[in-house]
Amino acid sequence: MDVTQELADYAAANSTAVLQRANPVITDPGLLAAFDNTPVDAEEYSSNLESHLLALTLTSTQALIASLFTLPTTSSSSGPITSLPAPITLLPREKPLPKPKPLTKWERFAKAKGISHKKKDRDVWDEERQEWVARWGKGGKNKDKEEQWLHEVKAGEEADQDPAKTARGERKARIAKNLKQQAANLAAASSKPIPISSLRDGPSSKLSKPSRSLGEESQETKKAGRDKRKAELERSMLISKTSTASLGRFDEKIQGEPKVKGVKRKFEPVAKTDYSGEKESALNVLKRIESGFGSDKKRSKKGGEGAEGGLNVRKAVRFQGKQDRAAGKSSSGAPGKKGKRK
Amino acid sequence: MSMLRTIKPKNARVKRALEKREPQIVENEKTAIFVRGQTSSERVREVMKDLYALKRPHAINFSRKNDIHPFEDAASLEFFAGKNDASLFVTGLHSKKRPHDLVFTRIFDGRVLDMIELGVEAFTSMADIPSPKSSLGIRPLMVFHSDLFDTHPTFQQLKSHLLDFYNGHPITEMPLLGTIEHVVSITAGPMNDAQPDALPKVHFRVYTAKLLSSGSRVPKLQLTEMGPSIDFSVRRVQDADPELMKAALKRPKLAKSDVESGLGKKKKNIETDAMGDKVGRIHLGKQDLSKMQGRKMKGLKIHKERAAANGGDDGMAVDGDDE
Repeated sequence: MDVTQELADYAAANSTAVLQRANPVITDPGLLAAFDNTPVDAEEYSSNLESHLLALTLTSTQALIASLFTLPTTSSSSGPITSLPAPITLLPREKPLPKPKPLTKWERFAKAKGISHKKKDRDVWDEERQEWVARWGKGGKNKDKEEQWLHEVKAGEEADQDPAKTARGERKARIAKNLKQQAANLAAASSKPIPISSLRDGPSSKLSKPSRSLGEESQETKKAGRDKRKAELERSMLISKTSTASLGRFDEKIQGEPKVKGVKRKFEPVAKTDYSGEKESALNVLKRIESGFGSDKKRSKKGGEGAEGGLNVRKAVRFQGKQDRAAGKSSSGAPGKKGKRK
Repeated sequence: MSMLRTIKPKNARVKRALEKREPQIVENEKTAIFVRGQTSSERVREVMKDLYALKRPHAINFSRKNDIHPFEDAASLEFFAGKNDASLFVTGLHSKKRPHDLVFTRIFDGRVLDMIELGVEAFTSMADIPSPKSSLGIRPLMVFHSDLFDTHPTFQQLKSHLLDFYNGHPITEMPLLGTIEHVVSITAGPMNDAQPDALPKVHFRVYTAKLLSSGSRVPKLQLTEMGPSIDFSVRRVQDADPELMKAALKRPKLAKSDVESGLGKKKKNIETDAMGDKVGRIHLGKQDLSKMQGRKMKGLKIHKERAAANGGDDGMAVDGDDE
């Protein structure tokens, strides 16, 4: 019985022999990885693949083990713990880096003034009851005034007023004010152009703006943003006002409602001191008549272009169809005016 | 992502769960989803089972078939990624044109980052190799052989994919004794000069590692095949969008204390030598030899009276200018 092959296999499987490498194996202990950049030996690869793979793995893993076991360690109750360095190989993240949270108006103010945040305890000491009570919420201290059984009526106050009701109204007004401020902060955060710091982080970081941190924007940019928001709001309001059947004619007026500004016609003054432009304007009129003002060519251009300056295809097709029909009838050629004038 | 409705948390538990899914500076380990297509072969299913066993516990196995063709339409992968907060996918497929097909997909920010398609040419499962297996949740060592992983773009991507799959989550510290159990070895065959277009096979092997005492600090290593043993052929590749990849490779700025403790960038001139001792190098400035005290002699002494006289003359000159 020949067992030489089996013995050789066993020896190979239990060997700790390491191959000679021309280039040293690159290790990345932070990821527990090693990279052997030496080209694979084609002859060994084709003749005995498995043992060659084992030998290669043994070589590179031994190098990795060597780099791992020379790292600094700290002792613990369960044995030494090796601290690993940061990985060298760059691997993609799962999610983008978190964006900085937009500051609220108060936070911006506090930052500018250098006011540090003081955290309020949720509970306060109640001297009368001799116990800790919540500052707000169930059994909160802010409701003391409305829940007390006796109220002092000061001189000059109306006799029929309910102090408990007034206190409650004041508290509810504070809550409403806070909610309004929260909503305003949210609106400002969402309408604000994306913070510069996150633009730099983001994928489309083509904008090279001065690196100014959040919260210290200039007054001009703030004002521009405010104006823009205001203009948008006014525009949408005007649109909504004219969206009724009567075009807003019978709607109630809102306080501070923006006025609708139409296009004003301009007339030349009859008596002028300077008549130099008159000849030119008269010639312009003639030129427009000569070039066929009001003809098909001109009309096709009128309103024929889209918002972005491209051709309004639907309109062009419609127009072409109209022209063809007119040519078929062999009528006057120029199609009639569309729609009624308002 | 757009297919998922945005959930507004109604209680604190849901809020915490949603916050966990938001982008973090230090990320959690990536979860892999193993999903098979409408048609898959026995071999592909077996391969996926073994890859899943190696990836557990950060893996989800979908037991049902799904009509997925990642290279044609990856919308359902993005949907699954959003639902399960996972960013790695292995899709098992089988067709006449591409038999025993595995597609590795990576997701970044809810969108497909890149994909690579591998064909399973040969396979021996973990169960078919009678040897002890690694424990659950143990991180493997990963070794890559061949210059192609350094030079060829497709193989670079494959390396990135596989490294990301098993060892992508960086750890800062680990006990070495008892936590090294197995090695994942990935080898690309040599390039065939006769057919330069054909990409060589990639051999995926897993060995259990045994550390033997060697008398020095570094132990000796002995390997036994554990399985699975897979021979892959590289098929289609979808590269990452450069802008998306750039965003995915962004590293967070670490806190100053972390940088000082050596987590962030490499400290200059401080090294740890082979014995684990800290060695520092100090650079001194150039020595000013002109001020060096040479040998003292009586003749070279500066007399006090002469020095004072020189100073007095200067003072007089200044006064003269003023008048």
